[in-house]
Amino acid sequence: MATTWFSAPAPVAHRVRAYFAPVNRAAQTPVLFDPAEQGTFNLDAPPFPWISLGWIDSFSRKAMSKTAPVLSGIPAVTLEQVRETLEAQVTLQFLSWTKLTMALATGAQHMNVLVPASGAAAAADGARAVPAVTVESGSTATSIALAATDAATFSPGSIVALDVDYTGQTGFVGSPVSGAYVRQALSDVDYIRRVTFNVALVSGVTSAGLTLVEPLPGGAPAAGSKLQAVTGFVDREGGTFYQEWSALFVMQGSQGERISFYYPRLQPMASAQEAAAPLSGKNPGGQTRLLLKGQFLALPVTDPLDGERLLCYRSFVPAANALV
Amino acid sequence: MQNAKDSFYMALRTRLAALNPDRTVLLRGTVRPGILVEEAEAPFSQPPNDVFMLRWLGLGVDLDLSSTMAADECEVLYQTAGTQSFGGLDRGRALSGMDEELVVMLQPLFTPKMNYTPTPPAVMLTHVFWSEPAFTPTVTQRDLLSRSAKVTVYSYQEQGE
Repeated sequence: MATTWFSAPAPVAHRVRAYFAPVNRAAQTPVLFDPAEQGTFNLDAPPFPWISLGWIDSFSRKAMSKTAPVLSGIPAVTLEQVRETLEAQVTLQFLSWTKLTMALATGAQHMNVLVPASGAAAAADGARAVPAVTVESGSTATSIALAATDAATFSPGSIVALDVDYTGQTGFVGSPVSGAYVRQALSDVDYIRRVTFNVALVSGVTSAGLTLVEPLPGGAPAAGSKLQAVTGFVDREGGTFYQEWSALFVMQGSQGERISFYYPRLQPMASAQEAAAPLSGKNPGGQTRLLLKGQFLALPVTDPLDGERLLCYRSFVPAANALV
Repeated sequence: MQNAKDSFYMALRTRLAALNPDRTVLLRGTVRPGILVEEAEAPFSQPPNDVFMLRWLGLGVDLDLSSTMAADECEVLYQTAGTQSFGGLDRGRALSGMDEELVVMLQPLFTPKMNYTPTPPAVMLTHVFWSEPAFTPTVTQRDLLSRSAKVTVYSYQEQGE
């Protein structure tokens, strides 16, 4: 009778893939990752609303929780132990610079630099912008309906930001991903579009609107959204706002097994930093690749299954036919 | 270990046939995808042009694991003189084309392990996987450009192997 199993050694993984999804800051609700229903998802097509950030480098997770013994007797012996603190950190390096990777590798707000209006006074976050155009109904996450005259002001290759006007509100702003927390009313009508994560590259322009290369992270534009062109991004050293995201790190083993680390709540804990990696090991003084360094603090959630407070879930899908 | 070597070769051969059906070789009266295993053919006085040739080199084993792991080093050699229609002036482009084909053929870096001894071949329980290729510099010999790339092919020994 043919053998139908094998004893699998420790997994061999090539790299780590990272996926992030926005925590609903107002409701304090992280995005769930269900290992039963999503444990073997296609790595190139993560379930909504997870956003793939591709391969990452130097992934390291560090449990910093502390335990303490409960001593009893003379001489004292450890009767049991208790968990005194619950803390974990994650560090990694992103292999690309995008809106999301820059924001995640920044300790505070991450801003879109809007195309400036003619003659606008200079500002460190970008000058006063060209007025936004109104997004019409019927838009989707990849197709933005505009009036023909508005569409004509964009071209393939443009970067655009979509969100609602800032009208004096306070609290978390940006829909549905919170890009900032406003403590007191501001005067910039474009502020939300400066901090929004609804940013995309335009692949096509017609008289009916714009086609986007990738879907907007927030899905179809919210009612009342407006659109502006973006020339780049800017972030700052300092500030009081902390990004917060749910994160999923996946290692695919050589035998088809999969290890997933799910952090329901991660906040960046370091200011923007870069790491220089030489392109050639033979010429360390030559050209270097600049990698964004991310350092995150895991925040707790309460598992409704048993009421335990925790920071991370590690799940494992064994290889087919492997002994368990 | 032979099953791992066979599986690696057949994976690359299948991928090449899909990637570039025009890259073929006439061997023993049969037209096949343009990739062969040196040790499974009659000795060549000179390797054929525009064909990938696998040469198996070193072997290492790790006996300390719950399943023994074998690491076979494979060198993929290829050479070209370009095409007659361009008088060989396209030999650099032809070599670049083979470089690109090899990079694509090697991905993904794994394939199911098969036993090709029975007919039809039997799917085994594990996967064969390999490292990213390490390319050597181009060698120029008169009108011939050649290059090789080395990969390490890993596999777990299954019961009965």
